[in-house]
Amino acid sequence: MVLVSAVRDYVYRMLQDISGMKVLILDSQTVSIVSVVYSQSELLQKEVFLVELIDSISKSKESMSHLKAVYFLRPTSENIQYMRRQLSNPRFGEYHLFFSNMLKDTQIHLLADSDEQEVVQQVQEFYADFIAVDPYHFTLNMPSNHYYILPAVVDPSNLQHFCDRAVDGIGAVFLALKRRPIIRYSRASDIAKRIAQETAKLMYQQESGLFDFRRMEMSPLLLIVDRRDDPVTPLLNQWTYQAMVHELIGIQDNKVDLRSIGKFPKDQQEVVLSSEQDAFFKANMYENFGDIGMNIKRMVDDFQQVAKSNQNIQTIEDMAKFVDNYPEYRKMHGNVSKHVTLVTEMSKIVEERKLMLVSETEQDLACNGGQVAAFEAVTNLLNNESVSDIDRLRLVMLYALRYEKESPVQLMQLFNKLASRSAKYKPGLVQFLLKQAGADKRTGDLYGNRDFLNIARNMARGLKGVENVYTQHQPLLFQTMESIIKGRLRDVDYPYVGNHFQQGRPQEVVIFIVGGTTYEESRSVAQLNASNSGIRFILGGTAVLNSKRFLKDLEEAQGIARSNANVV
Amino acid sequence: MILKELRRRSLLGGLCKTNTMKDQSFANGESRYRLQLRKGAATVGLPPAWVDVSEEIASNVQRARVKMNELAKAHAKALMPSFGDGKEDQQNIEALTTEITNLLKKSEKKLLQKLSAAGPSEDSNVRKNVQRQLATDLQNLSMELRKKQSTYLKCLRQQMEDAADLEMNLNGNRPKEEDDDLDDMIFSEHQMARLKQSEVYTVEREREIQQIVESVNELAQIMKDLSVLVIDQGTIVDRIDYNIQNVATTVEEGLKQLQKAERTQKQGGMVMCATVLVIMCFVMLVLLILKEIIF
Repeated sequence: MVLVSAVRDYVYRMLQDISGMKVLILDSQTVSIVSVVYSQSELLQKEVFLVELIDSISKSKESMSHLKAVYFLRPTSENIQYMRRQLSNPRFGEYHLFFSNMLKDTQIHLLADSDEQEVVQQVQEFYADFIAVDPYHFTLNMPSNHYYILPAVVDPSNLQHFCDRAVDGIGAVFLALKRRPIIRYSRASDIAKRIAQETAKLMYQQESGLFDFRRMEMSPLLLIVDRRDDPVTPLLNQWTYQAMVHELIGIQDNKVDLRSIGKFPKDQQEVVLSSEQDAFFKANMYENFGDIGMNIKRMVDDFQQVAKSNQNIQTIEDMAKFVDNYPEYRKMHGNVSKHVTLVTEMSKIVEERKLMLVSETEQDLACNGGQVAAFEAVTNLLNNESVSDIDRLRLVMLYALRYEKESPVQLMQLFNKLASRSAKYKPGLVQFLLKQAGADKRTGDLYGNRDFLNIARNMARGLKGVENVYTQHQPLLFQTMESIIKGRLRDVDYPYVGNHFQQGRPQEVVIFIVGGTTYEESRSVAQLNASNSGIRFILGGTAVLNSKRFLKDLEEAQGIARSNANVV
Repeated sequence: MILKELRRRSLLGGLCKTNTMKDQSFANGESRYRLQLRKGAATVGLPPAWVDVSEEIASNVQRARVKMNELAKAHAKALMPSFGDGKEDQQNIEALTTEITNLLKKSEKKLLQKLSAAGPSEDSNVRKNVQRQLATDLQNLSMELRKKQSTYLKCLRQQMEDAADLEMNLNGNRPKEEDDDLDDMIFSEHQMARLKQSEVYTVEREREIQQIVESVNELAQIMKDLSVLVIDQGTIVDRIDYNIQNVATTVEEGLKQLQKAERTQKQGGMVMCATVLVIMCFVMLVLLILKEIIF
């Protein structure tokens, strides 16, 4: 509940002390931040009768001086410009300005200059600068996520923006939690190091007054890692509810847009999947596909029972009871049709793309050994006509990541086959991935084959057998979190920033993955949090990835790198 | 002026720091004032006319709530066993119930008529949202009233059954000590009197139940009308970003429709015909004049 309740509390505080009819003005980022935690009906209860975006409100000239304007914006120079224009021609009675992060003094001066008519009542900073998609999972939804892949020399200014946004987001999370952490980062990653150092500078030097909180026994830990340490997790197909919906259809700010996969009636085109508002989803979001099917069937049966009793209206009492229960009934109906639609569509996609077949091989590539068998399986699937291009690409990538050092001839064969089969494949993408995230570049032991302990563990697991072939993969993050729980996170792999060291285990850990998180990883976090290990984990990233997004980022980065090489 | 003052003084150094004090009061997330809350410096303008209607409805809702509390107390009092015939309790309950139902009906009518807005302007969005919020309040009140009435109804029925059982038991358990004709006659008189009383009692209760059922139906009607306005929580229409997008698209759609209408009007066959006819008229007129002049 931690992240969601922090942002909700901020929104509540913004609206609480202002009486009368209000208009809430947001920018394109803060609208996501507010929409995932606060609903329209709750805003109406707080007398907010109009919600607008800051760029569209500039276009209208209607004066509405009976409304009080509440602005909640990110402190970007663009927003300050909009604000200045609106303050010089005020349309509303009162102006209350709230910013999601720290304002620079120059920005305040600019606002002061434009406030000719003294309509500004207050300017406050409320640090809700992240999108709290789940209680322990946040994202920054960065549109140009691919900059983390490129070296600094290629595009320094965009990279600086990227790092600034990440640092702002992380800072806001800790201000919302009112803690100041010890910072560690993944050694092999330059960008993780850069973000870690800039965050440390922000928290311990630039705004040390603001971050100076009451010191508890143990400082929390901020661990900044790179997506390229674990490129396997975003490439895998998923079989647990939330992760699967995101992988096959796509979840954005807890909304699913079904229009891309078919024609639906108006009220089913976009649906909301939020664990806070949907009890069925909360209970099933981490369950695997088979169990979800059964649970949905049970839900449909319950609903049919209720529907049948509603049709059997004979006395006036029955009628009265029906009208009493109608809102509940309608809500249940909507919920049932939502989940049934989602599962039906996903089953269709699984059938079309033969995902059960593909995923079996994927999981083998990710978890088990045996290069020869793997090569054969991948070749067969590449030859299979019904396998789609993106699935072929993923299979080859997974094979390459695992067996890049063994048998380069066979690897070359796979590349050629891939290029010949997939028309849209941009040649060299797999090699680009290997260059970025190959065995030499990764921190940590992705396949559990570097460390004797891990090898032994894998053998034991192999002997024991797995419960479900399709969900046997554990992301690298899980191992990292386990090491933290045991207090054995190696300094060699994850050095500290500055000279703050930590003895013993922290009680709160925020892990930030530069390049994006996945729902499979947030599931691991939720499961560990539920297991009462004594440590509370929070996960965040620059975006929430599925295989499509991850591949898109790789392609864009490759494009830029190539054009840069050509220029040079 | 205060912000300009800030700037001037900060140029002399030091003010920004003292003014940016951390908010110590709240237990949850950190926040920071850059400018203190200024009380009542600006003027809030006069609202448009429809706001009066919405305020009237809101005060009706408030009054209805107060009356509902009174009704709850009256229900409880009427259900308690009493020595009188409880007629004034019944009348009180009837009066209160009718008052509340009327308030709700009046508010609902006003809500649907006066507050409905057309056109994709910002003011109409505000109006629509105010309408939605009042609709939610009204619907909640209606549901509450109905629940109270159904529980009262149930208790009444229960009491009626109990009373009828009691009557039957009393009649049945009367000891048959005397078997004289005289006693039989006296018995039957007593029995008749008793029967009459319980009949009257039953008829009263029936009437009450009938009234309650009527008001339940009325409220059901109100709820049906309002349900179109109320937002279903947890669905996509309850999302702020969805509503913003929708507003944008509706405004765009409205604009497109207007443009299309303009274009069709301009290109309209009617306009062409009319122009042609007018030109023909002029031509004929000119020919007529020419004819007059020449001949």
